[in-house]
Amino acid sequence: MSTSERAFRDPAPAPATIGRPPDYLHESHTLRSWFLTTDHKRIALLYLAAITAFFVVGAIAAGLIRLSLVVPNGEIFTNDTYNKIFTVHGVVMVWFFLIPSIPATFGNFLIPLMIGARDLAFPRLNLLSWYIFVGGALFTLADLIIGGVDTGWTFYAPFSTTFSNTYVIPALIGVIIVGFSSILTGLNFVVTIHAMRAPGMTWFRMPIFVWTHYATSLIFLLATPVITIALILLLMERAFGIGVFDPALGGDPVLFEHLFWFYSHPAVYIMVLPGMGVISEIVPAFAQKRIFGYRFIAYATIGLASITFVVWGHHMFVNGIGTGAAVVFSVLSFAVAVPSAVKVYNWTATIYKGRIRLQTPMLYAMGYIGLFVLGGLTGLFLATLAIDEHVHGTYFVVAHFHYIMVGGTMLAFLGGLHFWWPKFTGRLYPEAWGRISAFLIFIGFNVTFFPQFLLGYLGMPRRYHDYPPEFQLLNILSSAGATILAAGYLFPMVYLIWSLWFGERASANPWGARGLEWTTPSPPPAHNFARQPIVDFEPYAYPDPPADDDGAAHVG
Amino acid sequence: MTTARRMSASVAAPEGVGIEVAEQFADATQQRHAAQLGMWAWLLTELLLFAGLFLCAAVLHVTHPAAVARAARHLKVWIGAANTAVLICSSLTMTGAITASRHGWRRWMLRCLLATAALGTLFLLLKGFEYYQDYLEHMTPFLDRPYALAGEPATRLYIDLYFLTTALHALHLTTGVAILLGMTWIARKPRFLHRHQNWIEVYGLYWHFIDLIWIMVFTLIYVVPR
Ligand code: HEM
Ligand SMILES: [Cu+2]
Repeated sequence: MSTSERAFRDPAPAPATIGRPPDYLHESHTLRSWFLTTDHKRIALLYLAAITAFFVVGAIAAGLIRLSLVVPNGEIFTNDTYNKIFTVHGVVMVWFFLIPSIPATFGNFLIPLMIGARDLAFPRLNLLSWYIFVGGALFTLADLIIGGVDTGWTFYAPFSTTFSNTYVIPALIGVIIVGFSSILTGLNFVVTIHAMRAPGMTWFRMPIFVWTHYATSLIFLLATPVITIALILLLMERAFGIGVFDPALGGDPVLFEHLFWFYSHPAVYIMVLPGMGVISEIVPAFAQKRIFGYRFIAYATIGLASITFVVWGHHMFVNGIGTGAAVVFSVLSFAVAVPSAVKVYNWTATIYKGRIRLQTPMLYAMGYIGLFVLGGLTGLFLATLAIDEHVHGTYFVVAHFHYIMVGGTMLAFLGGLHFWWPKFTGRLYPEAWGRISAFLIFIGFNVTFFPQFLLGYLGMPRRYHDYPPEFQLLNILSSAGATILAAGYLFPMVYLIWSLWFGERASANPWGARGLEWTTPSPPPAHNFARQPIVDFEPYAYPDPPADDDGAAHVG
Repeated sequence: MTTARRMSASVAAPEGVGIEVAEQFADATQQRHAAQLGMWAWLLTELLLFAGLFLCAAVLHVTHPAAVARAARHLKVWIGAANTAVLICSSLTMTGAITASRHGWRRWMLRCLLATAALGTLFLLLKGFEYYQDYLEHMTPFLDRPYALAGEPATRLYIDLYFLTTALHALHLTTGVAILLGMTWIARKPRFLHRHQNWIEVYGLYWHFIDLIWIMVFTLIYVVPR
């Protein structure tokens, strides 16, 4: 072990509180020092607060949807109200929670720490993107709640441009604005990863987390402008009658679907790739084992980010694209499964024969792997033309994407939140409560969404609350599951906040994990590193596992 | 740098040229690299913003060649061509500003920046005149007045796309001129080049890019489908 390796992997215990330089949280306490900060770590926490608030709003809407679906015939809300509620849910969850969730919080906090930089390349731009995000999102939210919009998160034309009688225009403006925040965040990450790596931090010494964020940022840069222009065109058509999508105005509605899905399929990878990065950090740390097939995971990440741009047509199989095109899109969609499976196999192989510790982050990670497999496999069902004819527009699709977005991304988010919580705050969360909530969420999630596969297969369409009585049992099951899920989310909100004041103090590296971020004190000082780190070690340099099978050998 | 210093010796009152290193960067080279890369990344997203429109126009051209050709023949190709020339000249003056800034010739740089802004404004005036001509010829299907090619629905989408694309470009140019004027105002202070020469370089990329986008608009929307 070379000197610098020793210095950075096993930092000396942090000096006592007295005489220790103030960390980023305690450097100053004024409101101004938070709302005008350019420190990537503080901005990450600002994002964390904002997206948690939006998550709560989206979750309340979800609760109302499930409430309405307890009884057949849609007796609880009027049709209009129901449409507005599921639009709130979709818009808030997709655009204001899932897309920024992991990149804007963990990515912001961790990328500079992981690559040994003092900050992102453009700190003021970073703050600006938070303001753009919050401004645009609050504007839309006010519109969705005070006025109401009934188009769903997909804004399909010509319904959204001509027929809807709700307040579509402000919602579009807000979502367009929020898009710029994504673009600026992606731009900041790409430049930071290219230009700010510490000496010795080569591309193949970067943690997978950084690789996945690099890929995500590329999608931000390449796909977001396409949704921006698509929404601008919607806006122009609705506001000024400049026809692009409505046939009555000389337009073409299928064009909107092309533009929309050219962004929105890659957007699902914006949601899922950062989660994969989180899992790729948690799994080796809790198996105390080098990640299996590092380069394959890195290549698979770039592979996913590339293929994702050529499969959008699978959302349009029954909407009038030709059979030839449908077959091509179907085959390409199958190809997505290959890099996805590479990752799942690599995580599994990492766990295999590791020194496994089943603490909260690892529980979330294991849940993620299982649910992501189910979501991905049902994606393949949907990519099969003959099956999609049958289940398109049903609850089967709803269950598919919730397995990936909630079962995948949301679990990765919570896993990462627990894993890095000591680094963010300098406090440990209560482990027992963490495990209970991880179990509740896993069980609640499956009870909520598995019945939806069955409902969809039996033919229950999505976005209707008026359904035949024979579907009631499965719907009640799903709603019951949602209450368990809600309890599972409430626990972390309470005990994490509690831990800010009463949690045990965390050491620099409570999990014995590898990576530059664990070499700084918890919480890190304002400029991250006391002196410029020099990297001369591989990522995930966990000690080799014992050669014999009885597991008696010591760590390290 | 050495050449620059040597050359500036022949000119009256040259200024030191450099940048102020921000605290997150290790040195000026890294900062320059990051700034350039950041602008390129921004231009990439801008390109994709326009690409959506170009693609729509191209697909329409393939599916309805005759109607698109008819619509395209109603566009004022001469105004478009004149505007292309105007923007190419503005790129030249922008390059002049960059070169002057590298040598520390602040006065020349300011003149070139103002000339660039003036050419940009000329473009916008010509564009406005062109829209007015379109209006007079009843080529505005989205307004509440008769439309010259009402018999052919496919021309309508093409003309709508023409308006949207050129308006989006004009919006970029307007922003560009505004930034240019703001930057000229800041750059009039002595020692500007000492601290922010980099701004001129990075902004130059943006200006050239708007120019390039116009050349694409002109070729793809005005010329090719005729
Ligand atoms: C193995 C990879 C995947 C495949 C093959 C796949 C396939 C599909 C297909 C074919 C559909 C269209 C179903 C229909 O409307 O008839 C669909 C819908 C959807 N998928 Fe996936 N998918 C995959 C991964 C993902 C991921 C990773 C996410 C999100 C993180 C996701 C989110 C969605 C969403 C949100 C929809 C529904 C959109 C809507 O209509 O509102 N999918 N998927
Ligand atoms: Cu898709």
